[in-house]
Amino acid sequence: MIFDRPTSAELVEAVSQFLEKQIKANLPDHLAFKTQIAINVLNIVKREQENKELLTKQSKEILLNLLKNPKEADIKQLAEKIAEGKLTLENKELQKALIEITKKKISVDNPKYSTYKKLIK
Amino acid sequence: MSEELQLKIEQFLLKKGNVGMVSELVPLTGGASAETWRFTFSNENKSSQMILRRGSGKKSPLAVLKSEEAVIQQKVKSFGAPVPTIVAISLDEKDLGDAYIMSLVQGESIARKILRDEKFSAARQKLAFQCGEAMAKIHSVNLNDFDQVPKKPIREELERLYLTYSSFNQPSPVFEYAFKWLNKQDFTNRKDALVHGDFRLGNLMIDESGLAAVIDWEMVSVGNPMLDIGWMCINSWRFGQSEKVVGGFGDLKELLEGYNSISNEKIDNEEVKIWQVLGTLRWGVICLIQVYSHLNGDVNSLEKAAIGRRVSETEIDIVDLLFLGGK
Repeated sequence: MIFDRPTSAELVEAVSQFLEKQIKANLPDHLAFKTQIAINVLNIVKREQENKELLTKQSKEILLNLLKNPKEADIKQLAEKIAEGKLTLENKELQKALIEITKKKISVDNPKYSTYKKLIK
Repeated sequence: MSEELQLKIEQFLLKKGNVGMVSELVPLTGGASAETWRFTFSNENKSSQMILRRGSGKKSPLAVLKSEEAVIQQKVKSFGAPVPTIVAISLDEKDLGDAYIMSLVQGESIARKILRDEKFSAARQKLAFQCGEAMAKIHSVNLNDFDQVPKKPIREELERLYLTYSSFNQPSPVFEYAFKWLNKQDFTNRKDALVHGDFRLGNLMIDESGLAAVIDWEMVSVGNPMLDIGWMCINSWRFGQSEKVVGGFGDLKELLEGYNSISNEKIDNEEVKIWQVLGTLRWGVICLIQVYSHLNGDVNSLEKAAIGRRVSETEIDIVDLLFLGGK
């Protein structure tokens, strides 16, 4: 890593705070609404920057545990195996893997989402 | 732009026998395939508020034409369902293009306000029942009167959704699972009906006494009526109030009571769950369509870019419904 701080996540955080505190309040409703979407997007980027290494590693472990072969342990091949019927719908390990991987995705995309909040309680 | 449109509307209404002036023309937020405008139309006798719905020239593959939407609404209204009155329909480019004008129904369509504002608290109490009633009225219209409505048998719809999803080459194990699971379900128990196709908060005008009108008929089809019930009951349309299964304001029991005050169809929770999975998956694929219209460069839009990261909301809802007892 050759770059100084702020990290990319910290830079994004700074822009997000600026939009939230100094811009949004001074805008008419429809632009404030769009600005909120911009803030939400920046917050996704920030969470992804901060967590992607760990979440990718954990997901890889889940996939490896389910699919055994390291060459096959990725999302695309999991999707294919389900489509081809090589993993049955009744497979409890498959169901568990889908739950866990989806939780990791939404923890970055929208950790305030009702279903996610319910499931991590 | 809007002055030119103002004149065009006046001329068109005049041609249809409505003499008057157009004023206060304002754009309202609308879908990607259509523009929506509000205006006041007045002459010496009276002044009334009207809505213009106009195809943007780029027809969404999921939608019917605006002119068809208008004819369908007129007919549905004659069967007693709450829909706005159509004032005039335009087909010709020299008029307003593919468009129609309807009377404005007073009320609120913004979900957040309907769910939270004090002034709708009485409306919220009976809204699920009223939605059930309105759906049952729509579902019981005589299909002989709706020849022009596209037929969308649910198996073909699922296949089309699958092809659409696959075309983006962004594989989702949860979607693959849901498609497989849905393909194993039996959908043969329901007769074809007129289906609104987008029955949810956002497309319902609500006033202080409850449901005033069902609007936005662009996804209308002839198909399985359970689609509307499942769609109204997915978590994507509860706007954070997830404990209230129907639109964030009501219980499934109330919706079905309203439905059965008009219709004799017996519907149980297990069947509704199948259609919740289907509805959630359908919304997930629509999110993909929207984000790829941005990524492919068809439209450049922050909203459309952002919606790509809402696909995981539909995935978590699907795993919750299928494996974790979600409702």
